[in-house]
Amino acid sequence: MNSAWPLVITLLYVATAMLIGLRARAGRSMNNLEEWGVAGRSMGPVTLYLLIAAGSVSAYTFMGAPGWAYSKGVAVFYVAVYLAYLALVAWYFGPKVWQFGEQFGHVTQASAIADRYQSPALGALSALVMAVGSVAYAVLQTIGSAYILFVMSGGQIPVWLGVLLVLACIAVYLYASGQRAIGRTNAFQGVLMLVVAWAVGLWAIHSATGGLSFAGVFERIAAEHPEFLTLPGAGGDMSFSFWTTSIIVSMFSFMPPVWTQWMSASSARTIRRSATWLPTYYVVILPMVVVGFIGIFSLPELVRADTVVLEYAMQHLPVVLVGLLGAGTLAASMSSSEPFIHSISLSVSKDVLQPLLKLSEGVTAKLARLLILPIMFLVIAPLAIAEPGSLVMILLVGLGFASQVLPAFIGMFFWPRASRLGVMAGILGGFVVTVAFTTLWRHPLGIHAGFWGLMVNLPLFVLVSLATPATRDEVVERFFRIAAPRGLTRVGKRVS
Amino acid sequence: MRRFLVLPTSRAGWGLLIAFLTLVLAGSWPVISWVNRATLVMGLPLLVVWSYVIIFACVAVMLIGNRMVERDDHE
Repeated sequence: MNSAWPLVITLLYVATAMLIGLRARAGRSMNNLEEWGVAGRSMGPVTLYLLIAAGSVSAYTFMGAPGWAYSKGVAVFYVAVYLAYLALVAWYFGPKVWQFGEQFGHVTQASAIADRYQSPALGALSALVMAVGSVAYAVLQTIGSAYILFVMSGGQIPVWLGVLLVLACIAVYLYASGQRAIGRTNAFQGVLMLVVAWAVGLWAIHSATGGLSFAGVFERIAAEHPEFLTLPGAGGDMSFSFWTTSIIVSMFSFMPPVWTQWMSASSARTIRRSATWLPTYYVVILPMVVVGFIGIFSLPELVRADTVVLEYAMQHLPVVLVGLLGAGTLAASMSSSEPFIHSISLSVSKDVLQPLLKLSEGVTAKLARLLILPIMFLVIAPLAIAEPGSLVMILLVGLGFASQVLPAFIGMFFWPRASRLGVMAGILGGFVVTVAFTTLWRHPLGIHAGFWGLMVNLPLFVLVSLATPATRDEVVERFFRIAAPRGLTRVGKRVS
Repeated sequence: MRRFLVLPTSRAGWGLLIAFLTLVLAGSWPVISWVNRATLVMGLPLLVVWSYVIIFACVAVMLIGNRMVERDDHE
């Protein structure tokens, strides 16, 4: 591919995202956490819909998911199913989280945990360990971005330069406009991804089959490679139990940026309305995955499965579409990495450094903005350039941990008796099991390591909670007036 | 208060909880094993069609939930 158009289109996208991100500030002061952290709790339903949708559709949709289709088959659709379930989670929990934030002044997930259990230590612990998973996630997305710039420039932009370019671009608008920049840029990126995915998918189908119907692709797969159309997939490793437990574990991973997104809504009703329509966005996955299936018979000798869409596009699609694919893939990785970078900085400042150094709200807000720079250039950039082999492992452990924070949320939304020590015991027990079953003995009996962690975590949480003092009544009542506005239930008997 | 749990307090609330659980069950084993066949429906693999049925059923259930919540004027 010798044309300059793909690189020009990709760089045009970067410039547009930067302009949108900078303009999102609109003259507001960003030196307070309410504004920089949660956009003054002002986002309407459409922005919130695209913010959450684009944030959940990462470079995985444009590279990893087609790669899974290419190597495993329909097993990849567990992602679409769990993303729809995350919308159910947002519909139920989002409005309550928003009310907690609005009434108690929380701007991060960890501050809600610290408040509910009256334990800054528990808040700091959850902030720090969530940060490990978040850094790994942001690094993987940054590597994806740099790889796209490398391919689109025909190798002229090396990976190290691509990493610095993408991070510098995000740093400028994230520092200037905070969560408002994430909202506006994600809205733009969300629309771009949807258009690009369908344009590339339909063009690829036309070039492969001569028509525009998915049927031509799947009839050929059914005739030649039927193992790609069922579980456990062509690789034989996606059993029913792994499919089911992966969905359950992913569904209960309340990642901090999602919590911040809910708190950025203009009202509880806004979250409910956005969550209701959120699953419709996941039609974005279908055309990209179909290109992965086309690759099964068009590119049978591919070395790296996750490059299937890029390879196919460069061999069969017009240069303008290749450029749009570059822009769309870059949009997917940037829209996912920037909420994580923002959330790490916000939570480390608010939940770790503020209580530790006894900082004022004003100083903490300024620190949160500045902290994105060392996080990006001293942590994420070196890791992205070095591409450590264990990064995916760190990510899996980090995400496994995210699901282990579940007891903290059970105590916030369902069970007033949950205690600080019960939550800590559950998290630590579950985390140890998740780490062991991710690194030493991977997913025993075909069940996701995080699910094994929960099986240890939840009984420990209940037993230790019952054996240790609960949080003060006035705090618990404050939370449960929102979590259970109509009262609680004891074995069929309602109590107001 | 500490002995209690948060559970639905109306028939409509229980109905919604059952609908949510049914949706989760529809995407899990054993239901998923019943649609795990190498057949095409409308040109797509059955498992793909089933995944999108679940996705759009989630939208339908949440739309019904919105009506219930807004009818009760309850956040």
